[in-house]
Amino acid sequence: MTFELIHVALLCLFYLLVIFGIATLTERDWIPRKITEHPITYVLSLGIFASAWAFYGVIDLAFQFGYGALAYYLGTGALFLFAPVALEPITELARRHQVHSLADLLVFRYHSHGIGALTTLCMLLGILPLMALQIQATADTMHILTVSRAPAIPAAGTGLTFKDLMALTYCGILALFTVLFGSNREHHRGLITAMAFESLIKVFALTAIGLFAVYGVFDGFTGLDNWLERNPENLALLHSPIREGASHTLLLVFVATAVTMPHIFHMGVAENPILRNTRAVTWAFPLFLLFLALPIFPILWAGFELSVPLPAQYFTLGVPIMAESPGLTMLAFIGGLSAATGAVVVITLALSTMVMNHWILPFLRLRRRQDIYSQLVWLRRTVITSLFIGGYLFYWLLDNQQSLFHLALVAFIETLQFLPGIFAIVFWARGNRRGVIAGLTAGTIVWAIGMLVPMLSGLEEIAVPFGDGTLSVGMSHWSEITVISLGLNTLIFISISLLTQQTEEEAYSAELCAADELSHPVRQALDAHSAADFKTRLAKPLGKVTASREVDIALRQLGLAISERRPYALRRLRDQLEANLSGLMGIHVAGEIMDNQLPYKLAEARDTVDINLIENRLSQYRNHLTGMAAELNNLRLYHRKTLQELPMAVCSLGRDKEILMWNRAMANLTGIASEDVLGSHLDDLAQPWCELLVNFSQGEDAHLYRHEINLSDRPHWISLHKAAIEGPSTTRRTASQSGFTKVEDDQVILLEDVTETQLLEQELIHSERLASVGRLAAGVAHEIGNPITGIACLCQNLRYDTDNPDVLETADQILSQTDRVTRIVQSLVSYSHSGQNKKSAFEAVVLRECAAEAIALLSLQKDKQYVHFDNDLAENAIIAGDQQKMIQVFINLLANARDASEEEGHVILASSEDDDDISITVTDDGEGIPEEHIDQILEPFFTTKDPGEGTGLGLALVYSIVEDHGGTLDIISPVNRDTNRGAQILIKLPRHLNSLITGVQTIPRSEA
Amino acid sequence: MNNQRLVILLLLIAYIFSPTLFTWIVNPEGAWYRPYIMWIIVIIIAYAVQARKKPS
Repeated sequence: MTFELIHVALLCLFYLLVIFGIATLTERDWIPRKITEHPITYVLSLGIFASAWAFYGVIDLAFQFGYGALAYYLGTGALFLFAPVALEPITELARRHQVHSLADLLVFRYHSHGIGALTTLCMLLGILPLMALQIQATADTMHILTVSRAPAIPAAGTGLTFKDLMALTYCGILALFTVLFGSNREHHRGLITAMAFESLIKVFALTAIGLFAVYGVFDGFTGLDNWLERNPENLALLHSPIREGASHTLLLVFVATAVTMPHIFHMGVAENPILRNTRAVTWAFPLFLLFLALPIFPILWAGFELSVPLPAQYFTLGVPIMAESPGLTMLAFIGGLSAATGAVVVITLALSTMVMNHWILPFLRLRRRQDIYSQLVWLRRTVITSLFIGGYLFYWLLDNQQSLFHLALVAFIETLQFLPGIFAIVFWARGNRRGVIAGLTAGTIVWAIGMLVPMLSGLEEIAVPFGDGTLSVGMSHWSEITVISLGLNTLIFISISLLTQQTEEEAYSAELCAADELSHPVRQALDAHSAADFKTRLAKPLGKVTASREVDIALRQLGLAISERRPYALRRLRDQLEANLSGLMGIHVAGEIMDNQLPYKLAEARDTVDINLIENRLSQYRNHLTGMAAELNNLRLYHRKTLQELPMAVCSLGRDKEILMWNRAMANLTGIASEDVLGSHLDDLAQPWCELLVNFSQGEDAHLYRHEINLSDRPHWISLHKAAIEGPSTTRRTASQSGFTKVEDDQVILLEDVTETQLLEQELIHSERLASVGRLAAGVAHEIGNPITGIACLCQNLRYDTDNPDVLETADQILSQTDRVTRIVQSLVSYSHSGQNKKSAFEAVVLRECAAEAIALLSLQKDKQYVHFDNDLAENAIIAGDQQKMIQVFINLLANARDASEEEGHVILASSEDDDDISITVTDDGEGIPEEHIDQILEPFFTTKDPGEGTGLGLALVYSIVEDHGGTLDIISPVNRDTNRGAQILIKLPRHLNSLITGVQTIPRSEA
Repeated sequence: MNNQRLVILLLLIAYIFSPTLFTWIVNPEGAWYRPYIMWIIVIIIAYAVQARKKPS
């Protein structure tokens, strides 16, 4: 049975168009996201693993190795079965650092650009046979379907045969597809869906042919069993090869494919959010492999039964051909085409990333800086095209002499050489770049001499260097070559890693990669101080527009603002930028740009542990912690919470004065949220905290008591205490470098707000002073009162005893002076008696009336300047108190206000109220009270008036009366900030609560 | 996290002892699809393990 070429070609084209269409529809969001983002789609896209080799070649593998063929599936299946352990660390790394290829990953871990170039070289050498395999399988099957009427593979063609031409056309179309859909980084969702569709087609085709083999050829499972009983040699074929041990090596060859094969790495690690789908992938991918593996043996046996005149590797196609089933034949062909297409496309994409990032970009200066993105796209397109040409040339060079099995073996054994290096990424932090380079080189040389060169040249023996004998090489020795190359590779890698030292940067990356180690990543300092700095510096290599755009993107991803100055945040920004840039142009170039423009300062403070990063990582990995580690983490959280909720302000500082901890009380005290300040440098704090903390942390004293600072225009008193923290790394370092001073340690600083205590103390001192003055005044009044009374009496007598006008005038003078003394004594007495009022004796006092009475009294003093008293007190401003005392309060306040005012000035009395209190203000428009006097003005005997004009007891008396009434007194000066004039006395008194209930009207005027 | 090394050790041991297990699985006395049955059992176990884990 054969087909017309035109039909096959049209079918191919139609199929490729369907794939194109699916990719496009996904990109345009015409296929619901529920489908394109479903875990099953993801798992199916991983089916890229099963290339044409899994569709055709594996039948040959089953023919040669029986059950050993299953090793191909079991190795990868096991790796995905243990994905949370085996794959997740790597995918997590790839996600965090935007790693897009295996070479990038190795460069990131080993911090060596040489490794990137070497990996790319080895990968190209190893993968070209795999690409040739796909091309050969497609060309062969097209040939079988069309040209060869007697279906058998013809001998090696000469020049460009018809088959070669078909292969070339196929490569051309695929190259076009890849260029269109793969070179732009934003198009990859479509690619994933297209690949998932391909996997679906291929697993469907293979299962259909398997079912056909069982039911169409053997009449069901019973028929198959009967056939096997009749042909026991076929069952024996399943078991006998296993005993030779080669299948064990096969398992080794295939086990690492999921991480070492570039297309599977690309699909599984670089493209896919594997973390989100780990759960599904652990069982779904092995299930997918099961479906692929189930039909193998039935197809093989059906091939024998039907005596398919094709090599075993094409039984998948041969069985339906011999059974004369055109539909199934076409399905088989499409399945194989699908498998080959998917693999080739993704392999090229993966390899093009590697070639670009590690071969081209490091040595190429991009021309116009403005248009960096489109230059990159065009470059990638060129690379993809060259790779297709390379793959085709390799296929052409081999000239169909190798079976699919051999091609696959060559590819798989070379990629296996990466296993030691990859293993060490996550699980062995000691491994270093020298080890990887040497090991990989040794393994690859053994592989090249043993397999690649013999495959290309037909070489079968090589002379042993420094000896007489010869060494057999070639495909038949693949098992030994695998063991020798990988063994040598591993041995050299381990021994060189143990013998040589890592560089500092490499050790840093190694620690970053070893996520399971609770290591202490070192915090490094940047010499850029703001996000805007980043833009200016990156403008040099990237161009202004690109630099600005990239920085903005990174800032948005991290949720930071352009004004960001925290070193912690800037370090994150740098890492994010490096990751983004490496997605664009590879880790090599991105790392170089970053190291040149934004280097980490290797300052003396670089041994500081990055607490923030450790915490970050611990909280990310919290769910992975088990046993002791989980307990310790709980303990850590508990201690952290304790510190966080400590009702005392605590902050801790790194050695380079970076703020590492800022607890809740600290945030409340300073009004600076911890997320704004964590990770920032102490110098970037807002004032006055910056000055206070910087001085204190640098100072000698461990304690600073009652430091006065101004917070929102009010004085606060803060006590500070500090202690040094000897961190784990500090102790380790100081052991070797003794003589570190205390400044080198981390610090914990405790702040205590003692404002309340301070104010209470001041209050106490004040009242103590007032009390002593009161006692003094009482004594003085008593002692002076008696003689003064005597003098006054004698003076009265003198007036009656004489008519001499001079003497009379003298007597009047004496009397008025003694009057004055009596007044002073009276006020002293009333001052000293204040505070003895019983609150129970308080009655309702209408303040407006008190004020009116005081105004009336004051207006009797005709010798003073005339001012207007505006009594605006509310009628219902009623307090509980002593009316006489309140009048006294008003007289004193109004007299002071009048004395301060100019002629025709205004003194305003006003009131306001709330539920509990009544506030009254007495405001004048005089000169105001000088700032330095405000603190003293309430003290007894303090006066600014001329000697003889005032006693300095007025306000002190007012103050003590107000206090007796349970009120408060405040002085505001100047009232008018523009003219800097005026003074206001604000008195707050508790209101008379009964009057609220009974109403103002019920209180009789006379009583009030 | 540190017991990952143990898991790797376990895998290594599994690799060494797998011939014995393998021989039993592919025992000619049994049905030819015995390996596939084992495979299905492993998948079911993996599914059960994953389904039992609460999403973190």
